[in-house]
Amino acid sequence: MILIGESIHIISKNVNDAVKERNQKVILDLAKAQTAAGADYIDLNLGPAKKDPEEVTQWLVNTIQQVTELPISVDTLNPVAMEAGLKACKKRPLLNSASGRTDSKEHMLPLAKKYNTNVVISVLTDKGCPPDVDSRIESIMETVALANDMGIANEDIWVDPIILPVSADQKQVREAVEFVGMLADLLPGVKSTVGLSNVSNGTPEELRGILNRTYMVMLGRNGLYSAIADVLDTELVRLNKGELPKIVDLIYRTMDGEVLDMGSLSKEEQNYVKTVKVLMGETLYSHAWLES
Amino acid sequence: MDYKAPLETYSGKVAEVVIGKGEKALKIGGENVLPLHFFEGKVENRQLLALEVFDSEPKTWTEWERRPYEGVLSDPVAWAKKCIELGADLVCLRLVSTDPTGDNAPADKAAALVKQVVSAIDRPLIVYASGDEAKDIEVLTKVAEVCSGDNLLIGPLVKENYEPIAKAALDNGHCVIAQSPLDINLEKELNVKLLKTFPRERIVIDPLSSALGYGMEYSFTIMERTKHIGVMFGDNTMQMPIIADLGSESGKTKQARENEKQGLLWESVTAMSLLLAGANILVLRQPESLKLMKEVIEGHI
Repeated sequence: MILIGESIHIISKNVNDAVKERNQKVILDLAKAQTAAGADYIDLNLGPAKKDPEEVTQWLVNTIQQVTELPISVDTLNPVAMEAGLKACKKRPLLNSASGRTDSKEHMLPLAKKYNTNVVISVLTDKGCPPDVDSRIESIMETVALANDMGIANEDIWVDPIILPVSADQKQVREAVEFVGMLADLLPGVKSTVGLSNVSNGTPEELRGILNRTYMVMLGRNGLYSAIADVLDTELVRLNKGELPKIVDLIYRTMDGEVLDMGSLSKEEQNYVKTVKVLMGETLYSHAWLES
Repeated sequence: MDYKAPLETYSGKVAEVVIGKGEKALKIGGENVLPLHFFEGKVENRQLLALEVFDSEPKTWTEWERRPYEGVLSDPVAWAKKCIELGADLVCLRLVSTDPTGDNAPADKAAALVKQVVSAIDRPLIVYASGDEAKDIEVLTKVAEVCSGDNLLIGPLVKENYEPIAKAALDNGHCVIAQSPLDINLEKELNVKLLKTFPRERIVIDPLSSALGYGMEYSFTIMERTKHIGVMFGDNTMQMPIIADLGSESGKTKQARENEKQGLLWESVTAMSLLLAGANILVLRQPESLKLMKEVIEGHI
């Protein structure tokens, strides 16, 4: 699975301060660390980028490119910042993201065409996040058709089902896995991506990793092409590289409903089994899901 | 062709909780079906109806709320006896005067009153402290000690204070009310933590009860989901009976305070709804709504 390093994110206080002060060091360190950890792309999340969008984005893209050869995922809702970012990228960038929202169809998709980028298209619509698999499908079919009409090929489209926190909606967490599995039939040739860490948003910090890792493996089994993720989580990267086949096997078997003898498993293995069950919606989530 | 009713069987069973001691004791829970699905399985024990008693005379009650308790409102022991006369299965004593932002009555005094009340009635007793996380530890551990062996149902235990109160309850043979703020995930978290040291058969869940028009649908959904998860999906961290503490909540509403008939209906409709959602104990204020609920419950069993 292609991993897009998520650490350069404007919500992070370090990054926010660094941008305000034009302090390159913080950005350079994060870009270097994520490159060394094995990222395939560096995500540059600017949020709405209200202040000096062009200048800030170009400064960030150029800073990142000083220390890494990796392509950049330009992640902002602001089309002005987006265009500035795409222009500054040396490698073919990922436009992150477009969606079924009217403003996005009008302003983001044309940029993907103009700069010949890969483009994330999420299932969001003007009404928000579709509540079930069918409405996700309806939304994505419509937006991808529009993108195709504009001359964007399926091969350049990375579909994002929108991941919700497991602490908020277990049903949607399970359905996103289903949705990813259906994509190859629905839209042959499209790729896919998710904001992986969103699944553990709201969960106590020290427990987020196992949710992210387990969910990555579950989505990967259903064909997920890429994930915006915490590549500084070494176990996550190792799992993705296939270095922990026993854990992957355990996750698959739990997904298949196999009844495992918990007593014969290590504490860590038990935790993975419990986490699959929570992410499948088989047991009710609570912050204490590993304790029962 | 014979008709065969499409009956479901479920994998889970609600724990049976015994409150009170000796011949006074009452049981709740024990069902292996969804609320009021008498046709599908075994409903071991009917739901219980409690009336509330305050440890100090309530200042904000309407004239018609006061009327049935005329003469006993400043005497919690006499008031508790009156509740039994009026048909309550058990009494819910509220230690409101221990609230540090109000009278801040000492724990000793509160515990002595609880002992007096439980000794005066031949029924089990529910005790709710003021809801101040810190002070409740002091009050409820004292109550637990002074009434050792009386098997009270005491609460609320919340995430911030459950450990010391649960220990005192366990050491002195009481049941506890595990309270969470209208959130199924937080409810489960508290249960999981409590269950590490405390037996399932001594826990009652209070997911908070909101009155009709003031968020009752949230309480309804959470009670309903608690039963689904416990009974249908067999999650044993969610298999405890539920208490719906609704009389005071209904009594606060503008509609309930407007006139007598509306006030009675407000409490009764809230109570009926939460009964359908899965409550095993209803805490009521008005004897007339208690009568109505009793007819509903006894009509079914």
